[in-house]
Amino acid sequence: MSKKRKSFSLLLVSLMALALVVSACGGNGNSATNNSSAGGNGKGEAPVNLIWYTIGTPQKDVDRVMEEVSKYTQEKINATITMKMVDWGDYQQKMQVNVASGEPMDILFTSAGGFDYVQNARKGAFMELDDLLEQYGKELKDTIDPAFLEGSKVDGHNYGVPANKELPQQEVWRFNKGLVDKYNLDITNVRSLDSIEPLLKTIKENEPTITTFAMDKNYVPYVPYDYVITNLPLAVKLDTTDYKIVNILETPEMKEALSTMRKYYQAGYVAPEAATTGSTSDLMTSGQWFMDRAQTQPSADNLWSASYGYPVVSTQASDAIITNTSVQGSIMAISANSEYPEKAMEFLNLLNTDPVLRNMVDSGIEGVHYKKLDDTHYENLAESKNYDMPSYSLGNNMLLYLNPSDADDKWEQFKQFNAEGVNSPILSFNFDSTKVATQMAAVQNVKEQFWSSLMTGTVDPESYLPKAIEKFKEAGLDQVMAEAQTQLDAWRAENNK
Amino acid sequence: MAEVIKKQRDFHQVSRGWNFILHLIAGIFSFMCVFPFLFVVIISLTDEKTLATDGYRLIPAKWSLEAYRFVFETGDTLLRSYGVTILVTVVGTILSLIMISLYSYAISRKSFPYRRFFSIFAIVTMLFNGGMIPTYMVVSQLLGLKDTLWALILPLAMNAFYIMILRTFYSTSVPEPIIESARIDGAGDFYIFLRIVLPLSLPGLATIGLFSTLGYWNDWFNALLYIDKPSLVPLQSMLMRIESSIAFIQQNSQNSSLSLTALQSIPQDTSRMAMVVLATLPIIFAYPFFQRYFVQGLTVGAVKE
Repeated sequence: MSKKRKSFSLLLVSLMALALVVSACGGNGNSATNNSSAGGNGKGEAPVNLIWYTIGTPQKDVDRVMEEVSKYTQEKINATITMKMVDWGDYQQKMQVNVASGEPMDILFTSAGGFDYVQNARKGAFMELDDLLEQYGKELKDTIDPAFLEGSKVDGHNYGVPANKELPQQEVWRFNKGLVDKYNLDITNVRSLDSIEPLLKTIKENEPTITTFAMDKNYVPYVPYDYVITNLPLAVKLDTTDYKIVNILETPEMKEALSTMRKYYQAGYVAPEAATTGSTSDLMTSGQWFMDRAQTQPSADNLWSASYGYPVVSTQASDAIITNTSVQGSIMAISANSEYPEKAMEFLNLLNTDPVLRNMVDSGIEGVHYKKLDDTHYENLAESKNYDMPSYSLGNNMLLYLNPSDADDKWEQFKQFNAEGVNSPILSFNFDSTKVATQMAAVQNVKEQFWSSLMTGTVDPESYLPKAIEKFKEAGLDQVMAEAQTQLDAWRAENNK
Repeated sequence: MAEVIKKQRDFHQVSRGWNFILHLIAGIFSFMCVFPFLFVVIISLTDEKTLATDGYRLIPAKWSLEAYRFVFETGDTLLRSYGVTILVTVVGTILSLIMISLYSYAISRKSFPYRRFFSIFAIVTMLFNGGMIPTYMVVSQLLGLKDTLWALILPLAMNAFYIMILRTFYSTSVPEPIIESARIDGAGDFYIFLRIVLPLSLPGLATIGLFSTLGYWNDWFNALLYIDKPSLVPLQSMLMRIESSIAFIQQNSQNSSLSLTALQSIPQDTSRMAMVVLATLPIIFAYPFFQRYFVQGLTVGAVKE
């Protein structure tokens, strides 16, 4: 009996000991970071530790690289860096929790797509940067295309530093080059939606098993309008003079495009399941497609060809337009609860202007993750699989070293591409939806119901378009439009447009 | 009378026709439950190229073990996640069984003066909780559990519902007189609990054990909140991350620079399915282990006095 009791108490004791040991470990890790940040406060000499949240699949060697980065930044601006990567799909939710709970953060990634920039800037998640940019970001302001800083203003203030990369959005038709060559097709004169018909016809007749015009449920025919609110049918014409917001479904351009799409669908150019397909990546892997539409950037053809494993060519389908979405594609903001906003700004300034730092953050440690070939070229080493970062989210892209396969004037091409971009009339106008939130939700539901099937030509626009317009009206699209128009007029008056 | 004997049918038995129909319904239903998983297994064994050209097929044109090879070769992260999940599940289940069985034993004993208070104390957490943000702040900032395995174990260790089940179980399956006679024979509280109450309540413990094993095995949300270190991510959370990342990238397919860089880092369809299979298999083997006690445990705990 006493033996049993003994063994039980032994179990209890060992359990408690285990608990102690493990919790002590956890506690230690925590206090270490606390110490380093508190140390910065106490003495002016001690380096400040900046916590940087960014998007992407967490990489194994992040801490190792950041150690090197910290050595460099400590020398330059007396700050060390801790980077925390949060995976693509988790980023939004995780950052919302972090902001709400006041988790210590200094620099965070934000964009139009993940962890919405405008919304969170309005909520007060980010620090206003107007003065800090002036004081600590002079070189940065000189380096980045001014359209980025101008376009990423929210209610007249800057809340983040956009990454210097491709500025405008431009649509292209992409073609599977194998098929273009096989049937000797001329793609140079292709541009409008109508102009692709003869090509589609040839392929459909000769290659019946191939998906002629590949698209997924997010496809929308291109019309020369800029959408006021992402995902809603409200838009302003690109060459507008009176800044009138219209329902995109009621415009003659969209009506025409939809009947063309219907024609293509009935002819079998569009896959019957297009309206429900989430992605065309299967087609891209198998190469069983002829053409589709995509957004481009300089030398995109090479990137596409390399990633699919067969040649892809493209030709323009629209002008290059600078829109809110394109400007807000990648922004680094300073958290409102940051203890060292000045240091964070200094770091952002350095990151966006110093090639050594920028490339270290992007490719890792020289000699471990990559090898430098000459002043501007580099090559990934085998270890780089442990530090494979999404370049677009980490600041100024134009400082990056080039791959041997890149064109030598890659960044010149980008600069030219950016210079050719035309500002959308409503660039930097951001709709505030708080007053019409209920209607927005109802309108969104109607959109789910009609949008994909209309846009892919799955249903006949003759009968369904009026129905969709009617439903949108019932859901309160007119109120949203009126509210947007009021805000747009006020914005116009303020900005002298 | 003679006819009844000839058929040798139990009075309670359903007629042959009904028996057949009921079996058919049950059979169809179980097939519908099992089929999706079988399909996942089939997809994971399909050749990647065949999948892209033909789509999902019940009997693919070409079989391949490539996906599993890929998962095991590139997957030291996967194996690590496996380890994390197993460790968390084992430690968590043991810990939560210890805590729950002790707590519910105490409040099941009529001689315990504060049983009412502690019962209500537990039930309150079933009805109200602090919400996500306050919970997060307690776990990560007050307790400092962020990026530790304890953040995956402790939040799930106590569960008021299980306490209620086990308390009812104790009070129905362990007669008070047995405890009294043990006490008369000189047994202390721990001895009574270990030697008399626990062996009598094995079905109940097995039920709770199965519940919490499943809970720990399938938990991904705590990891989403509390784990940043790639080396501490459990299996389900890793799968969840891959799935939600694919959804995110597809939603943002307009952002050209994002989709170009990000799509390359996403595993192929077949490897994802292979990971699902690998994540599910061990827990399937856990069922037979608990099943002996399972049905008994569920029904006995459900009857209240």
